[in-house]
Amino acid sequence: MTAAQELEMILTQHQDINRRVESNGIRLTIPASLLPQLVSQLSPQWTFVGIVPEDDARTQSLRLLYVFYTPKGPWLGMEVRNHDQVIPSISNILFAADWQEREMEDLFDVSFAGHPQLGDFVLHDSHWPEGTAPMKRHSWEIHQKANGFEDLGTHRIVDASGSFVMPIGPVFSGTAESIQFGLETVGEEIVFAHIRPFYKYRAVEKLMRGQTPMGSLLIAERIDGLTAFSHALAMAQAWETLGDLQISPRAQLLRVFWAEIERIRSHLQVLSGILESTGLSVPQNLLQAQEEELLQISGAFSGHRYLFGLIRLGGLSRDWSAEDIQHIVKRLETLVHHSQEILDALTFDNSFLDRLEAVGTLSGERARTHGLVGPVGRASGIHRDVRIHQPYAAYDNVVFDVPVQTEGDGYARFRQLAQEMTQSIRIIQQIPSMLTPGEVVPTDKFHPALRTAFGYVESPGGSVLCAVSSNNQGMVERCRIITPGLVNWHAFPDAIRHFAFQDFPIIMATFGLSVADLDR
Amino acid sequence: MLWLRMGLTHPKKTVSSKAPSPLNGLSPGRPAPTPLLDAPPETICPTQALKEHGNVMTVDYTRCIHCRLCHQQPDQNRMSWEEGYQWAQMTSPRLPHSFRHSLHIRVVDAGDCGACLNELHQLASPVYSLHRLGIAFTPTPRDADVLVITGPITVSMKEAVQEAYQAMPSPKRVVAVGTCALSGGLFASSFALAGPLEKILPVDLSVPGCPPPPLALLHAFQLLMGAKSEEMRTQGVRT
Amino acid sequence: MIGFLVFMAVSLLATVLPFTIKSHRVTRASSVMGSLAAAALLYSGIVSFFIHSWSLNLWFLQGWGFLVVGEPRLSAFFILITGLVFLPVSWFSPAYLKRLHGHYDLRYFSLLYHVLMMAIVLTFLAQDVITFLFAWEIMSIASYLAVNFEHLHDSHTQAGYMMLGASEAGFLLTLGAWLPLIDVSHSIDFSAIQVASAQYHSASLGLGWAVMLCSFFGFGVKAGLFPSMSWLPRAHPAAPANFSAILSGVILNLGIYGIIEINAVLWPIHDPLQGLLILVIGSVTALIGILYASTENHLKRMLAHSSIENMGLITTALGAMFAFRADHLPELAWIAGVAALYQILNHSVYKSLLFLGVGWIDVSTGDLEMDRLGGLARLMPWTSVFMLVGVMAISALPPFNGFISEWLIIQSLLRSVVLKSTIDQVIFAFSGVIVALTAGLAATAFIKLYGMVFLGRGRSPGATNAHEAGHGPRWALGMLALGCLILGVTPTYVATGLSFLAVELAQGGTQSGLIPAFFSPQHLPQALARTFGPLGAELGSHILPGPGLVFLYQSPKPLQNVVFASSPSYLAIAMAILLGLVYVVIRIAKRHKQIVRHEPWQGGVKELPADAHYTATGFSNPIVVIFRAILRPYQPVEHEQFSAAHFHTMVRREVRESYVVDRLVFFPLATLVQSAAQMLARIHHGKINVYIAYALITLLLAISLSLWVVP
Repeated sequence: MTAAQELEMILTQHQDINRRVESNGIRLTIPASLLPQLVSQLSPQWTFVGIVPEDDARTQSLRLLYVFYTPKGPWLGMEVRNHDQVIPSISNILFAADWQEREMEDLFDVSFAGHPQLGDFVLHDSHWPEGTAPMKRHSWEIHQKANGFEDLGTHRIVDASGSFVMPIGPVFSGTAESIQFGLETVGEEIVFAHIRPFYKYRAVEKLMRGQTPMGSLLIAERIDGLTAFSHALAMAQAWETLGDLQISPRAQLLRVFWAEIERIRSHLQVLSGILESTGLSVPQNLLQAQEEELLQISGAFSGHRYLFGLIRLGGLSRDWSAEDIQHIVKRLETLVHHSQEILDALTFDNSFLDRLEAVGTLSGERARTHGLVGPVGRASGIHRDVRIHQPYAAYDNVVFDVPVQTEGDGYARFRQLAQEMTQSIRIIQQIPSMLTPGEVVPTDKFHPALRTAFGYVESPGGSVLCAVSSNNQGMVERCRIITPGLVNWHAFPDAIRHFAFQDFPIIMATFGLSVADLDR
Repeated sequence: MLWLRMGLTHPKKTVSSKAPSPLNGLSPGRPAPTPLLDAPPETICPTQALKEHGNVMTVDYTRCIHCRLCHQQPDQNRMSWEEGYQWAQMTSPRLPHSFRHSLHIRVVDAGDCGACLNELHQLASPVYSLHRLGIAFTPTPRDADVLVITGPITVSMKEAVQEAYQAMPSPKRVVAVGTCALSGGLFASSFALAGPLEKILPVDLSVPGCPPPPLALLHAFQLLMGAKSEEMRTQGVRT
Repeated sequence: MIGFLVFMAVSLLATVLPFTIKSHRVTRASSVMGSLAAAALLYSGIVSFFIHSWSLNLWFLQGWGFLVVGEPRLSAFFILITGLVFLPVSWFSPAYLKRLHGHYDLRYFSLLYHVLMMAIVLTFLAQDVITFLFAWEIMSIASYLAVNFEHLHDSHTQAGYMMLGASEAGFLLTLGAWLPLIDVSHSIDFSAIQVASAQYHSASLGLGWAVMLCSFFGFGVKAGLFPSMSWLPRAHPAAPANFSAILSGVILNLGIYGIIEINAVLWPIHDPLQGLLILVIGSVTALIGILYASTENHLKRMLAHSSIENMGLITTALGAMFAFRADHLPELAWIAGVAALYQILNHSVYKSLLFLGVGWIDVSTGDLEMDRLGGLARLMPWTSVFMLVGVMAISALPPFNGFISEWLIIQSLLRSVVLKSTIDQVIFAFSGVIVALTAGLAATAFIKLYGMVFLGRGRSPGATNAHEAGHGPRWALGMLALGCLILGVTPTYVATGLSFLAVELAQGGTQSGLIPAFFSPQHLPQALARTFGPLGAELGSHILPGPGLVFLYQSPKPLQNVVFASSPSYLAIAMAILLGLVYVVIRIAKRHKQIVRHEPWQGGVKELPADAHYTATGFSNPIVVIFRAILRPYQPVEHEQFSAAHFHTMVRREVRESYVVDRLVFFPLATLVQSAAQMLARIHHGKINVYIAYALITLLLAISLSLWVVP
């Protein structure tokens, strides 16, 4: 039975559900009380993406849209109105919704009945009093505490004689991003791990409000600078759906081209991070030099080393001659070839493998519970890739495979990244011959529709969902960005449990997650 | 042993050559002062970095994010674009002479998007080989001479930044890296920011850019160490 | 003799005095009397050790001879230590006992204290078997009562029974040594036994082994040696701290005294194998003791395990002494003897210091778990400094006393090359390695103790509200700490003094001239200087007076001459000078500098909670992991609780451990006894016809046996 048939069957059981078909998606309006039941019925077949807040145009009140999809199928949005500020929690059914509910509670003051751990999440209680709801329509004013001191806000879970918390961060190691961990332990082994993110909370989603489409693209690029192109692409796709913009096939192909270059760069960076954490400095430096080479290619041909400012609504900000494209492809081929040589040599290095194999293992079952995305999920056997499941840009025209591992340990994640790089160069090689002349730099006028639209992109770290609704002036009314960081960091404390302290940095490196991506 | 051989057989990464021009991808470049534009600057620049100064349109580099919007305008509104990387501005004296060959840096991420941090990290790659200048990143501010702050200083990180500064021994210098740390950049109006950095700590050296490329950072650190401009050892960098 | 008489008079008076005065004055009066008695013991010990011994016939026992007390050098040595421990304990007690006031009748405490002291002294002084056994038995019962003094706690009562049981079992085993001795010499008098044994010895090796095994393992119970040490870590936490100090500082010595008295004086060991057995048991004891000490987090239990370790070290040195002596290497035996005696002396001093300090921590914080303490250095500066001295001493760090004795023990074990058989050499070397490992682990264990208890921040309300010790405890701790320092910086004098006794025990040895005194202008004798000069024995003696602590051994084979020398005295002076220099340099360097104080860098947060500090459990976790084979079964069992499907509310982790000796020796033994009893129980049917059948079978058997045997 397909997912769509199953949905039909479920809907026949409930007469009080209002259904609407939108562009490439189904939207249901359901009473809050029905939510847990529907979610548990849908969750085996439908993939949960996230909770998207919307403003109800008629009542001016907040409503939440629970977004699901099936591979190559339509979107499914379940609309729940937040009349009495209490919505049943679905975290007990779908653990992946845990952080999203906590975030909603902190920013929108929506209470999720049955969630055991609300409060003090995005807005640290040391700086903002509980109950501050900066994203709520009627309380845009925010009161900050005068003298707050950050602390290790962990309540103890481990009950063992002599157990203690090993605090890490927010500022730690060389050029690490700011995030805090509390590792509960009785000595060497991590018995339980707490994570305290949002030290870097810049309130991007709030900042988006009232931005022009161009402004929103610039901000989206800077959510996570290392996957800027993907984030901006997701944002642009949401706008393009809203404005019903047609993008030329050339622009679509070039978007794929640069997106894959970004993937290679990001994977190279994560791989060299893994090598750094295991202390293998020769291959690490060699890989890092390859990454620098790629940054220089990007800088020379796109104008920016991290591809900032490349995405424009309806296309890209510049075009390239066929020679340029050929030149880039040639350099990329050598670069990936050199990198693969190093990575192949690593598979013969026992001391390296010892530190990765059976370390930081997340079984397929655990990974599914957390709803993991991206290479981390695929290394645990979750075959989930938006490029195939919800094709965008020109991805349905190029040929590539999505590698999947089953072990879910550090070495599986390492192999996953290496194999994905091979597929990326494979995609890039196909593009020069497919390019047809056409307009890339857009000039169209733009009139967005007054509703919510989604842009879904497989960034190097995993799927990014960008949901945008615009207002009358064509500015952003609400924006919601569900990043791979928000999903995958949730599983990280689970992955480090029962491993030793010395494995902690290695596991963190194999996850290759960005904190900026999570904190936004 | 394997890696020793591999390191030796890939020596091309350490070849020295003159710093090339144009800087093929080593730096994004930035808008240069241009005769006045036709259009009002605030309609062109998303961060209000363009300022009229006499009959010249100048650029407030603490706000510029290299979005190239001003460069992609029609001719009469186009700002000219300059190559280069020697962007750092020092506002206090360089460190004493004893720091000439040794500088320890603590980097604190205060809401950075990751690009500035990665450029800093990239300095350690063989291409830039930061260590040849005696510069090293330290894990604790107790050992650091220089505090490098990236990102727009979020409220939650403000205290950590202050703690790091107080934990450092004198003499010490504070370097604001990137447009976010200097002005807040695109995030300037966010409620969750305590920055820019100059509201929190005395900034001794500012490195504008979004992100400032590794060469600009190297130039900045060499300024702190008191190297004369002709000695700038960026020519060791390979492209 | 005067000292002894004064002691007896004071002690007898002290037993009745508490019942004649007001109750709030009891502890003070007992303290004064105890101090006087201890001072008398010190006087008596010094006089008998250095000047002349005495002996006193008490009364004549028909058919057995005189009951004798006397103070030969060996007894005097132990009497001296007893006085050294009882003196500070007497000062310490009044303040410590305040917390028991109102719960227990302190008059009985006073009575018990003095009876115990007398019993211990009599045991050391007894010069015949009957007096010895009588005093021993009183001592056993008194110490049981003392450990069990806070009898309102169930766990204490249990520990007390266990101690009494172990003690009595050991006592019965020692009878196996005493009875053959009496049988051989037809006398209970020690001197008569000694004379008889000299004649009888070579004839019967089997009897020698029996005496040695019974005495070693019998007295080993009291000394806490393998395999009968599990009572010790149970008794200590139950005992009041002042009794703990006596238990570790004096009563354990009784066991050692018994071993030495029988195996070195009354029936000297003649088979090197016996020495090796003692050596091996000693080093095994030391290793087990220190392993448990370094993983234990209860302060008193940890010190108890450490006492086991120290007893092991002493026994190791004794074993070396016996082996060398039986191998006719009196010089080496003498060195090992000095090492053993030094270790006995040191252990009594620093262990009573540590126990008294821990006792005060108990009074002050109400807690003895390291995981709940912390940060006491700021609240209890004096206690902290004295405990630091004790911790450094027991970790064998110069300039304190532990360093000298452990250095001597390891040195004497390394001299095994001169032994005759290869197996002996291997066993010696192996023990040397174990002792070295023990010394390393001891440092870990006591760094943990000091670090977790005194540094960092308090982890419980008790620890954050601690208060400093009063004058009495402070003086007691101070005196013992001073003792650690003095014994550590004047080893040349101490070793010279101990060598009087060591020469007796080793039956021969080197002249005392070989340990030139500190600052003495004296040089090596000409003959020795010729041999040992090239080996460096006189190094530095031209610049500074005296070459420090030098041990020489002139082997029959010239290539195996050994010299080992160190100069803790000069080391101490050098350390003091260096410390002073560092201070001066820092002062000069900082003259024009402004000092900025700021809280430690904690990763960007202002203040971390107290539970974000390393705990004792965490500190010793690597040791637990490395030595899992011995500490096994170390199996963490985890129970997880969830509030809902995936949210953890609790991860409870329990660790099951059992004492290695119990596991390997006593549990199997208990199982064996139980199954034997069950076998026997099978014939108890309760049916009368079966019993009649038994009677019939027995009768038949008896008749057939008698028919078979008689003709």
